[in-house]
Formats: sequence, C-alpha cells, structure tokens
Amino acid sequence: MDEYALGVLTNIGLFSFVALSAYLLLVAGELSFGQQAFFGVGAYAAGIATAMLGCSLALAMLIAALLGSLAAVLVGLPTLRLRGLYFAMATLAAAEMFRILFELLHWQVQVEGEPVGPDGTQGFRGIRWIFERGVQPEEFLAMVWVLLAAVLVLFFMVERSKLGATLRALGEDPALAGALGIDVVRFKLGVAAASGALAALGGALFAHHNTYIEPRNFDIMLGVHSLAYALIGGLGTALGPLLGVVFDLGFLEASRLLQEYRMIVFGGLVALLLAWRPRGILDERVVHWLKARFFLH
Amino acid sequence: MVMAAAAGAQRIRADMTCASTGTDFVYDCLIRLTPATPGVQVTVGADMPSMPMAHNVKPVKARPGKLPGEYRATLDLEMTGEWAVKLRLSGAVRDMLVLHHVFTESGTAPRK
Repeated sequence: MDEYALGVLTNIGLFSFVALSAYLLLVAGELSFGQQAFFGVGAYAAGIATAMLGCSLALAMLIAALLGSLAAVLVGLPTLRLRGLYFAMATLAAAEMFRILFELLHWQVQVEGEPVGPDGTQGFRGIRWIFERGVQPEEFLAMVWVLLAAVLVLFFMVERSKLGATLRALGEDPALAGALGIDVVRFKLGVAAASGALAALGGALFAHHNTYIEPRNFDIMLGVHSLAYALIGGLGTALGPLLGVVFDLGFLEASRLLQEYRMIVFGGLVALLLAWRPRGILDERVVHWLKARFFLH
Repeated sequence: MVMAAAAGAQRIRADMTCASTGTDFVYDCLIRLTPATPGVQVTVGADMPSMPMAHNVKPVKARPGKLPGEYRATLDLEMTGEWAVKLRLSGAVRDMLVLHHVFTESGTAPRK
C-alpha cells in the first residue's frame, strides 16, 4: 500500500473518533458544534505527555482521554440545561474559548537542543514519538483501526443494552425520559464525558500522526465536519459516522479533478443528501430493516 | 527563513523557496535539507491549517536537485493563502518536517 493510501486510511480512522463523539451526543438529542475543542485538548495533552514529559503513547492517550472527558464535563455543566440551538451555540462558543486558550498557551522545554512544546499561534512542533520509536505507517494505521474497532464494539454492546435504550429514549423525548425516572442532566453529563474522551483519543492520535498541531486545526470547520460525518452516515448505528467519514474524505479525495470547486460541489451534495435523508444514510429505519432482513431470519 | 528540525542523531533541518509557475496555484519549490544526507527520499504534501483533511494536496515525490540536499517539487494547490507544507523523509532518515508558507499569486514567504 502506498504512502498516500495509508495517509487517507489513517485520516479516516482518526476523524472517525470525533465523528463518533458527535454521534453519541446526537443520539442523546444534543447537537454539538464543539467537539473539536476536546479533539484539541486530546491533541495538546498527548503531545505534551510524549514530547515534553517523555510518557509512552499509551499513557499519553489515557491522559488525553481523561482531560478530554473533564473538559467536556466542564462545558456540559453550564450548557446541558440548554435546548436545541441554544446548546449548539453554547458549545460553539465554548470550543472557540478552548481554541483561544490554545493560542495563549506558551510552554516549551529544550529537547536535544530544540524548543519543544506549545508556542501559541505558532503551534506545537516536535511531537515525534512515532518517528523516535520507529513506528512504521502501516503499524500506526493498525494501531488507529484496532482502537477504533474496540470503540465500535463498545458502542454495539451499549446499543444492545438497557443503557443504549435509555440513551435513545433520552434523545427522542427527554421530558418523557425524565418522567420515567431518568436523571436527564446527570445522564447527559455522562454522555458528554464519554464523547469528550472519544474526541480526545482521536486528537491524541492526530497529533502523533501529524507531528505538529496548532490552534487553527481545532476551529469551527472541524466541528461542522464532525456533525456532518454523523448526520451523513446516519444516526441508526455507530457504523453511520464511520460511513460519513468514508463518504466525506473519500469524496474529497476522489473529486480532486474539480480542484478548488470540489468543496462547493461537496457542500451541495451534502445539502441534497440531508434533504433526502434527514437522519443520514444508515438511519434507524434502514438499520431496523437490515437487522430484520439479515439477522433475525 | 522558516526552519523545521528533526530530533535525534539524524537531526535534519529544511527550508524551502517557491515560485509561481504562471499557472494558477501551481508552484515550483526548491527544498534544502541540511545536513545533506545521502539516500533520503522526500515526499511533499500540504494542507491548510484550518481544515487539514479537506484542503490538502496529494503528496508528490520530490526530485533530487543539482546540489546535495536539494530537492525540487511542483505543488498544485487549491488556492492562495497559508499552507502547512509537510516534508516526509524516508529512506536513510525517516521523519516529517512541517514548514508554514504563505502562498501568493507571485510566490511564497514563510509565515511570520
């Protein structure tokens, strides 16, 4: 497999994490434009852990997930009482606050005579764990997809459990779910924490894949695409966001002939697709049909 | 000059100058690696910092230049503006160096 194909497949895996984090909140009934913030928290945290503190990648990812989760809880505490567009706007504002914090973050140490660490708008260079350890692109790709597969298995287990049913009930009608005894705010806070951890895991891997990050990597564009991945792919199954990422990145790569017009064409196609299938390609109806067709008979 | 450096015993720095070819958004770039290390292949890609996976350039292999450590590559971008140019080194040294340049209609300048 050539380097280009490896890069595309790795990117699909990396952005599936942030897509799944947006999906998780969508299933719980919340539209977040702020998942890029937690992706960024994970990227910075893991970068600092390996490049500046000498941690292993595994420990760095654990730290990233915990900090991403904590950041999501901090954002969720004041915002999860809001509804619909108000929540969406609040998450967008929170994400911009995080991006500005990344711009204000200056902390560098000398590593082998070179300054390494976040340098505000100049970014964070030298996140070189995979190069220093001789991790080959194929091995990194495998690492990303194995972790993603583990996350998907977890999603499938949750979706088949009572927890999954509660999540769907909450997304459908939070007032009814509350009347049935579910602590809506507390449950949504848990969902926010899990989605923050997921996005942060993706960010941690992204930072190590790129070796360089900067605050602009985590702006509104990533937030919009994260939502688009989940909405295009469908809200009926955790495979939906993955399909959304494949569709998005696959189309963008396949449409290079259109050059600078490809984003315009892509935007139009997404609008048409969502007009035709408002809950995505793999929506609940399609998933029920597929289950009935292939798994129950 | 914007420099990027690789860590370790084989620390390599890079700088780059680009000139417009006259075709919209297509640039001829001269890359210099120091110290010049034999057996290094360079693949050049680029993406826009605000949307790395959407606005990016399919990586191209750089051709060896006239002098040791020099490489040439043609970058076909989607638009002018700031791009993060990624130099992937393989062969004798494996690393990735990132250079930020602002591409204008006439050429490029390193990000300030």
